[in-house]
Amino acid sequence: MSELLPLAIVLPIVASAAAVIVGRVREESGWYLALIGTAVQVVLAIGIATQVFGDGRITHHLAGFPPPQGIQLVADGLSAAVLSVVAVVGFVVLGYTRGSETHRTAFYAGYLLLVGGLAGVTLTGDLFNMYVFLEITGLAAYALVASANTGRSALAGLRYLIIGTIGASLFLLGVGYAFVATGTLNMMDLSAELAAAGYRSRLVLASFALIVTGLAIKIALFPVHTWQPEAYASAPDSVSTLISALVSTAAAYAIARILYSVYTVEFFTAVPTAQDLLVYAAALSVLAGSVLAVLQSEIKRMLAYSSVSQFGLVVAAFALANQTAFLGGTIHLVGHAVMKGGLFAAAGVIAIRTGARTVDEYADLAAEAPIATGTFAVLGLALVGVPPAVGFVGKWYIALGAVAEGVWIIAAVILLSTLLTLAYFARVIERMYFGMDVPGETAAVADGGRPTISPKLAIAVAAVVAVIVMGLGATWFASLLEPTMEFLFGL
Amino acid sequence: MIDLILTRYHYIAAILLLAIGLYMLIAIKNLVAKVIGLNIFQTGIFLFFITTGMVTGGAPPLLGPHAEGPFVSPLPHVLILTAIVVGVSLTAVALTLIVRIYAEYGSLREDIIREVRANE
Amino acid sequence: MTDVASLRPLAAVLVSAIAIVGIIASYRRPNLREVWTILAAVAKFGIVASMLPAVLSGTVYVTDMGTIVAGVRFALRADGLGILFALLASGLWIITSLFSIGYMRGLAEHAQTRYFAAFAASLSATMGVAFASNLVTLFVFYELLTVATYPLVTHDETNEARAAGRKYLAYTFAGGVAVLAGAVVLQWVGGTTAFTPGGIEALAAADPVVARGVFALLIAGFGVKAAIMPLHSWLPDAMVAPTPVSGLLHAVAVVKSGVFGIARVTLDVYGPGLMADLGVGIWLAAAAAFTLLVASLIALRKDNLKRRLAYSTISQLSYIVLGLGVGAPAALVGGLLHIPAHAFMKLTLFFCAGAIHVETHTDDISAMAGIGKRMPVTMAAFAVASAGMAGIPLLAGFVSKWYLLIGSVAAGGELFAIALLVSGLLNIGYFWPVVYTAFFETPEEHDTKPVIEGPFGGRQSARADGGEEHPAAGWARRSWRGDETTWFMLGPILAAMVGAVALGIIPYQAWFLRLVEFIVGGL
Repeated sequence: MSELLPLAIVLPIVASAAAVIVGRVREESGWYLALIGTAVQVVLAIGIATQVFGDGRITHHLAGFPPPQGIQLVADGLSAAVLSVVAVVGFVVLGYTRGSETHRTAFYAGYLLLVGGLAGVTLTGDLFNMYVFLEITGLAAYALVASANTGRSALAGLRYLIIGTIGASLFLLGVGYAFVATGTLNMMDLSAELAAAGYRSRLVLASFALIVTGLAIKIALFPVHTWQPEAYASAPDSVSTLISALVSTAAAYAIARILYSVYTVEFFTAVPTAQDLLVYAAALSVLAGSVLAVLQSEIKRMLAYSSVSQFGLVVAAFALANQTAFLGGTIHLVGHAVMKGGLFAAAGVIAIRTGARTVDEYADLAAEAPIATGTFAVLGLALVGVPPAVGFVGKWYIALGAVAEGVWIIAAVILLSTLLTLAYFARVIERMYFGMDVPGETAAVADGGRPTISPKLAIAVAAVVAVIVMGLGATWFASLLEPTMEFLFGL
Repeated sequence: MIDLILTRYHYIAAILLLAIGLYMLIAIKNLVAKVIGLNIFQTGIFLFFITTGMVTGGAPPLLGPHAEGPFVSPLPHVLILTAIVVGVSLTAVALTLIVRIYAEYGSLREDIIREVRANE
Repeated sequence: MTDVASLRPLAAVLVSAIAIVGIIASYRRPNLREVWTILAAVAKFGIVASMLPAVLSGTVYVTDMGTIVAGVRFALRADGLGILFALLASGLWIITSLFSIGYMRGLAEHAQTRYFAAFAASLSATMGVAFASNLVTLFVFYELLTVATYPLVTHDETNEARAAGRKYLAYTFAGGVAVLAGAVVLQWVGGTTAFTPGGIEALAAADPVVARGVFALLIAGFGVKAAIMPLHSWLPDAMVAPTPVSGLLHAVAVVKSGVFGIARVTLDVYGPGLMADLGVGIWLAAAAAFTLLVASLIALRKDNLKRRLAYSTISQLSYIVLGLGVGAPAALVGGLLHIPAHAFMKLTLFFCAGAIHVETHTDDISAMAGIGKRMPVTMAAFAVASAGMAGIPLLAGFVSKWYLLIGSVAAGGELFAIALLVSGLLNIGYFWPVVYTAFFETPEEHDTKPVIEGPFGGRQSARADGGEEHPAAGWARRSWRGDETTWFMLGPILAAMVGAVALGIIPYQAWFLRLVEFIVGGL
């Protein structure tokens, strides 16, 4: 049933177009179409995942044209995992967009386009095709970020657009160099041809550098992360939840895919400098992101810098090029998507109920909004790495991988990141539960009445449950990922 | 050196375009000009890509009764067509955002917008 | 050692976790809420105690809950050492809960539901630490313990409490990171982090530099909670917490979990043989000896009673670590026996301090002149417990100290024995004035200068002649029949004191010595 693959990409895009058309006739239909679209997407993702984890890699040749002329779609364990996250989060956050935010049909069309683009990034086996889908994703993201209708969000969207396009263009240039070196764009072919062209040739090295830099911009690693804080902060809350969970995740997946399927582990063995540079740059992102996060007063900006730090961890894991670290990187990639999405969801609920958006305004909120602040605290601690949530599991594997490679400094940075993450979360948690640091002042606590659970809050709570379940089920996932890792490391 | 320039002039042209585009993005304050810079930047990349398909003395990649090889490689053309479309959509979105920004802040210059925001 | 699959270890952990639901649900009915706590405490103790006889004859109860990360099982294993800690913590929780009720109601404290819920969570985590079968599982519960105890430290919500909470989090999480680092490297080097009596074999074959490095990491990580100097400074600040918290958690559960971690590392990860080969035991003992002496010296200068008790705790914990570091069988017995011995004695002392605070709002020793009239039974218990701390025979502290001294001399560490004896003298030096001031001085004649003058002379107090802290006419006299404070508080004080005495007179019959000898014999 390899037809599931193109279906998973095409369906949301068609639904997006349908939303635009139907939206002209019936104004309010956007959300419902999106709901149907994302629900079917979830079913498709589960179908693909069951097939991949049961029978192994699936490949599909679009329109029957064989590669290297045709475009090939590939699903292995890694793509199935990321695709599932994309589909489920896309579906769940749709529930979040109702209620206090009113959106025109165009918003939902953009939403569906984003999901489609993300599915494309995850499933493609062709390097240029990946560029196209990265740009589709980007376009949808730029528009969604700006959908808050304020000047601030438009500016943030424009900045995101400009920097994101530079990133994608660098990626394209890198693809161009690889194409010149080998004459093919298919990922599987490229892995053989690049080896034949010689990993140390200038062309191949340049293409690697450009591709990685372009993707680093899309992931928002330090120091090319500058578009992210404003974009996350000024976007509508549902959009922040969606984008923080999915867009950088897909870009990080892209780096993993290209590192392992195109350049393969052999590249790192041949060019250890490239590996070192990437690992240390990622470690720098870990440290810098956390330090910058501590300095923020706006909650959403703080969470954005937190992403900078966490994705540094993920990229470092992928760059270490051993199986343990790869497993850790994948677990942390998927886990972080749920944790960060949940955090933004909780922050959104808190903002709706209490109007608080900065760290200082979070003082004493635990009394007013106990469940929302509780989920925020638990997800924050999960991100810090308190077991048994999934944050701990990812870090364990990454640290173990680093130790096994003998890169002690990175292992230390990974473990230190626990303390750094604690630094900026503990502030907020302390404020929420124990109030302001001002002598004698007790914030006037509005009587929240009996705690009520709105759909938005339910999403945040679901994230908490998911995070703990994923943490406990990590070894099961590791066993599922085994065949994929064997294949990728055997290339 | 001259030899290099004469034979690889297309690469140099592409790099020049990249540099000009990047410069416009960074140095010019007008938002629309930045978008133009972005376009120039992308055009440089496109041209680089297309010229890689060149075969000296090759025929255009069109099949017909009198067509005979070698042909110039059509694959880069196809790829760049897609990329151009992407570029156009990006420009469209960017300009829409700029219209919104202008409506909100009353200026197209980045430094003036920053002042208006600081004074808000 | 036969392993028996059983749900009892898991039940012991979960009992109080389930009680949390009940506690939170009964937030409007304080009496019902307190019933939940007491029920959970009794049930927990019952479950643990039920495992004791079989464990003493060689059975080990195991609850296996799958794998947490590849190659590491998430399992609870009730063996001798685990039962020792669990028995102590769960048993003492019962009397601490009773004391908490008296204390919190006596002060009409705020946020009592949060307090009792967090307490229950902390005890859940403590059971998990006690029964953890490998270093990673222990780490999981260790971190959960930190999270559960944080709200208790910051309970007062004053700036001081918040600052103390922050320091607590920073120190304990940093310690946790060190433990995790050690566990990661151990997993890579030794192939397993499971606790094996006598030590993990693969570790013995590993590179000594790496083995020493891992040892240092693990000891540093656990040493934060065990308050080894210089990692101790969170503990005196944490005294801002309510006294039952200071008592059970910071004299029994949290700090003893740090010591317990060190015990697991030295006995079940490295084992006495490897410790001797690597030569790390002596460094551990030296750090412990340093801590014991310096903490005692600092305690002399403290006027706030709880702070003095905090430094005394730091000092006494290092007795245990000293025993583990020295490594001779007698020293191990002494060190491990000191875990319950110190717990009973220190709990008595803290409960006394708490009762004094509730009844008279006095926190400083200099203001406690003649308070023995007002609170005779309390101060008598205080006197008994402090005698035990100093190592007076017939009390708990003497037995463990005796073993420690024998063990140190047997292993050739005469310096350590001398340090122990000096510390005993210092103990008298900082406890005797409290007792003396309480019973034999009156507010008018009270000389606030502490026993040792000169550079260690301590605070200049202008409160020599009574003042605001106590009534101008002296303390109101109360009889010895227990009407000085509620029985909620007095009962636990006496219970803890009786425990301390029992451990001194009949340590073997009171189970603990038998348990300790069983543990050491199995290495």
